[in-house]
This record gives sequence, C-alpha cells and structure tokens, in this order.
Amino acid sequence: MTITTNLAPKYGEKEFSQRPATSAHEAVFTLAAGGALAGLGIWRRGWFGGALGAAGGYLLYCGVRDFQRPYQGRVRISCTIGKDRMEVYGFASNPQNWGKFTHAIQVESRGDRAFAFSLGKPAGIDFRSNVEITDQLAGEHIAWASADQLLEHRGVIRFKTALGNRGTEIFVALEYKAPAGPIARGLAALVGWSPEQVVRESLRHLKQLMEAGEIPTTTSQPSGARGIRGAAKRILFREGPSEQAVEQTRLAGD
Amino acid sequence: MKALCWQGKTNVSVERVNDPSILNPRDAILRITRTAICGSDLHLYDGYIPTMEPGDVLGHEFMGEVVETGPEVKRVKKGDRVVVPFTISCGQCFFCKNQMWSACDNTNPNAWIMEKMYGYSGAALYGYSHMMGGYAGGQAQYARVPFADIGCLEIPEGLDDEKVLFLSDIFPTGYMAAENCDLKGGEVVAIWGCGPVGQFTVRSALMLGAERVIAIDRFSERLKMARAAGAEIINYEEVDNLVEELKWMTGGRGPDACIDAVGLEAHGGGVAAAYDYSKQRVKASFDRPLVLRQVMQACRKGGVVSIPGVYGGMLDKIPFGAAFGKGLIFKMGQTHMHRYMRPLLRRVQNGEIDPSFVITHRLGLDEGPGAYKTFRDKQDECIKVVLDPWKTAAA
Repeated sequence: MTITTNLAPKYGEKEFSQRPATSAHEAVFTLAAGGALAGLGIWRRGWFGGALGAAGGYLLYCGVRDFQRPYQGRVRISCTIGKDRMEVYGFASNPQNWGKFTHAIQVESRGDRAFAFSLGKPAGIDFRSNVEITDQLAGEHIAWASADQLLEHRGVIRFKTALGNRGTEIFVALEYKAPAGPIARGLAALVGWSPEQVVRESLRHLKQLMEAGEIPTTTSQPSGARGIRGAAKRILFREGPSEQAVEQTRLAGD
Repeated sequence: MKALCWQGKTNVSVERVNDPSILNPRDAILRITRTAICGSDLHLYDGYIPTMEPGDVLGHEFMGEVVETGPEVKRVKKGDRVVVPFTISCGQCFFCKNQMWSACDNTNPNAWIMEKMYGYSGAALYGYSHMMGGYAGGQAQYARVPFADIGCLEIPEGLDDEKVLFLSDIFPTGYMAAENCDLKGGEVVAIWGCGPVGQFTVRSALMLGAERVIAIDRFSERLKMARAAGAEIINYEEVDNLVEELKWMTGGRGPDACIDAVGLEAHGGGVAAAYDYSKQRVKASFDRPLVLRQVMQACRKGGVVSIPGVYGGMLDKIPFGAAFGKGLIFKMGQTHMHRYMRPLLRRVQNGEIDPSFVITHRLGLDEGPGAYKTFRDKQDECIKVVLDPWKTAAA
C-alpha cells in the first residue's frame, strides 16, 4: 500500500510491527505471571527451580518491555455496500455525514483539507488529533495523515466497484502510533474498543445506513431487573441510554 | 407492561418493565394478542445459549395489533392485525434481496459478537441473547418491531389468532425443513423429533409430495399427533437399533431424506450420550449432537440431511466420514421466514391446514414461568404452549 503524503514521514516501514499493540491488561498479566514463576523458582531451588526462575525472569522482562512499548498497530478492514460507487464515495467523504456513522470521532473542519478529530473524553483526558487529507480522488480514494506528535496515524480508504452487481467495496487501511506512557494506555482503553473495532463498526454502520436507511439499535428498550453483573454488562452490549439513539433521522441516499 | 424475563438458568419471571418505544424511523409498536413458547426458548431456559443477561425479555413467536408506527413506515398502519417473523430483516441487503432473509447484514447491533464466533453475522432475532441482537422479545404485552414494512404480515378478517400465530416461526420452519429435502414425489422421509416443529415438518413433507413419512420420538402423545397426520411412527426407546430399524422399513435402502428437528438438547442413552452430557456439563461444548449422528448414519447414499434443529457451537465425534462416503447433501439454518409467510398464509386460508392443532396449553402470561417447566419436561402431555399476555389469573 503506498500512501501519498506531503508531510515529512515520522516513521519508517520497519517501525510498524505486525503484532497488535499490547494492552495494559496483557502487560500486567505478563508481569504477574513472571513474578509468580520467579518466586516459585526461588522457593523451590535446585535446577528445576532455576529453570522456573529463568522463565519467570524472562516474563518479567517481557512485561516491563510491554509497558514501555509505544502503542502502535495497523488496521485493515473491508466492507461491501450495495450502492453505486460514486454514491458511496459522495456520502462517505462528506464530513457532515461522519457523525452519523462514526460515533467515536467528532470532527471540526479547519480549512479545505484540514480537520481536527476529537476522540471523546475518556477518563477526562481530551484527545484531539489534527489531520490533513493528503490525497483524494473522487470515487477512488482518500488518504490522510496526522499532523501532530501525540497520536500519529495515517491511512487510506479505497473505493472499488464490486463484482456481480453487488455495489461498492470499501478498503480501509491505517497505521497508528502513540508514545509510551499513560496517554498510550488511555488510548488503549478508548470507549472499550480497539482502533480495529472502531473502524469495523464505523464501516458497518455506514453500510447499514446506506442500505437499510437506519442503524439497528436496542438502546433503552424494555428489560427486567439487571442485577449487578447485568448492569456492568450493559456497557458491553451498548444498552445504556445515549444521545446517539435519538439522532436516527432521514438520511442522504434514502 | 408485563414481560417474561430471563433471570438465570431455569429462572424465568414475570416482571413490570418499561413499554417499548419507537427508536428508529421504520419501527412499529405492537400490542401483542398471542405469543408462544418455542422449543428453542428451552435452550435459553436451560442456560445453553451464551450472552444472555438477567432481565432479557424472552419470546420470538408473537402477533398482535399495530398501535404506533415510525415516520418511515409506509405500508403497515395503526389497527392492522399482523404476525411478525422471528427473524428481523432489512429487505435491502444482498441477502434479503436474494431471499436469504435470515442472513440479513443490517439488523444485528451486536454483529461483532456473532462475527467473533461464526466469522459473519446473520439477522437478529427477537428475544434470543445479545449475540443475536439483544432485542426485547414478544412474551410480553407490547413489542417493538423494527423494519415493520418488511416484517409484518397482515392477517385478513375471519382467521382466528390461533390459526395464524405459528406463521411467526414453527410452521415456516417445518416447511423449509421439508422443502430443503428437494422432494420430487415418492420419497421416504424420516423425521427425528415430534415437537411442534417436527409436527409441521411431517405435514409439510406430505404436502410437498413425500410418499412415506416416518416420525421418531419417545413421547406417545407426540407420536400420536404425528400419526394423525399420516406418518408412520417409531418410539426409539422401543427399538434396539434405530438405524437398522429404518433400514428394515425402507427395503434396505435407508430414508431418502432425514430431518433433525431436535437440535442441541437431544436426549438419549449409551456411551455417546454420556460423553455429550458430561462435555456440556463442564461447558466444554454447547451442543449434544446425539440425533445428528443418527441422522447422518441412517440417511441413504446421496440423500439429503435437513437440519432445522438449532445448534450453537462446536460439535464432537461426528461421523463425517460416513457423510462423505455416502455423498450426503446438508441443508440447514435459521428459517428464511419472509419467503414462506405469505404462501403458507394462503394454504391456511384455503383450508389445507389448521395450525392450531398443535396447541395443548392455553395460559396467561403470569403462568409463563410454570409453563416453561411443563413444556421442557413434557409434563401433562404438553406439546405447545400459547400465552395470552392480557389474561389475568383467576382470583
């Protein structure tokens, strides 16, 4: 995938590993497992204890390194929408429509090709990212790159006519990186979803909107007593009352 | 309103919950007049289906009167009496347009859960776990029906509720199971399971041209009901070897088509059963494929295995070598409801079939929790339970 960008590249190809970013949970688990094994090895002594200690020590090293690893990864999702390519491009490329299918991101236009993305306010930290459209060809592709140090990301969305009269295929490929530390951990906990899931659900919502005219929802539907576990799971299944539930209005292309 | 809510394994209760409201422009709200308990609801009752949460409203076989419609609902009007299919379909995606309605792309808000398990998500269902959408179900006094113009089937005057209620699930399910057998006339069809779906499968197979239908179960009242439709019956607890018995009955050939109308909660004895039960007990498996193994073993070479019975997860010890060696054809899946509802309504109107034959218990919503147990344990010769959500218990 070649992305045309007129911003100085902030990272080379090699810096993006194939492994997904480590979450804080994984790092803590690795440290705990390493500590337990190392402790067990010291307690046991002997050659077997030594082996356990060595394994524990390695896991501790991995855990510490995981905490220091910058939050980075890449996402590739594709989706087929049963509408004509120019219609899909027209709808998806209009910033005024983005709020209708991407609920994780609010957009402010800063000029012809510059935008400020706001990723909501998880844990009270306001994540904003300045983004510039670096390449755009109507009906074909849109490429963007971020313009700040805090959260670096770049990607391209391609539009292709699907075979057999099935509409349009959309291919989203993006790469992202944030430096190590609490900001990266905070990003990893963003609305409980990984960047891959944000992209996948956004594409799904775009498809639902363009094909069926609405995004299916079960927010604030009737239910009985949830209990403690049930109340916690409400968030997972997105049943809490939310502002988005009210905004299902008539849409472009309907 | 009152609704039957799942509160845990074998724990269903009637609770006061909020009335449903219009959430999307194509929604309608139904005042439910009749609703039924399905055999697949028992899988929820027994705790075999994952992603259920306490408080979920159950029920996916319901019908009623439209009381409110959203701004984009054009065909269905307030006051219409409608039957609602248990699958929710958008009508606009590739799958809906190609008559694969239960594979709809656009109705499951929790599609990511089913995708994790199955690779791709199908249509959402009413009242059947969060993996299938988490929609509130129809064992209640009101229900919200998304994509009302696509889903609702209007019922003309002169037809009782009880005659048309089963167009919401079990009649089209039995019919599709029989249609999947690709009957050309003159075949022998064997059907495992004489529950409500099995009963409709028997009648549909005969409607579609099967020469002989062999119905298999262990409960005499269910076998009797199947025989009343013209099936030959086998009580499998009274035969030594069911596969051999079928071979004997069919001149050594085996049935031309075999239908598994039992699904994941199959009962049986023997070593295989012990293995399946223990795996399920430790949650190493969702399903007990006892019947599926027999079906695959019994079917004739080149025959069709049709599976309306619900399965959820990974199966174990399946004679796939037998299936390959005999060149079996497998057809299965959630019913493509919208294909069948109108044609089957016409059959009911023509008097070809009266679906209310299958009802054995008519109760109020308050008696629902007890009814689940009665239905599951087949007590009191129970075959099908229909609930009236507005019927109050006698003082």
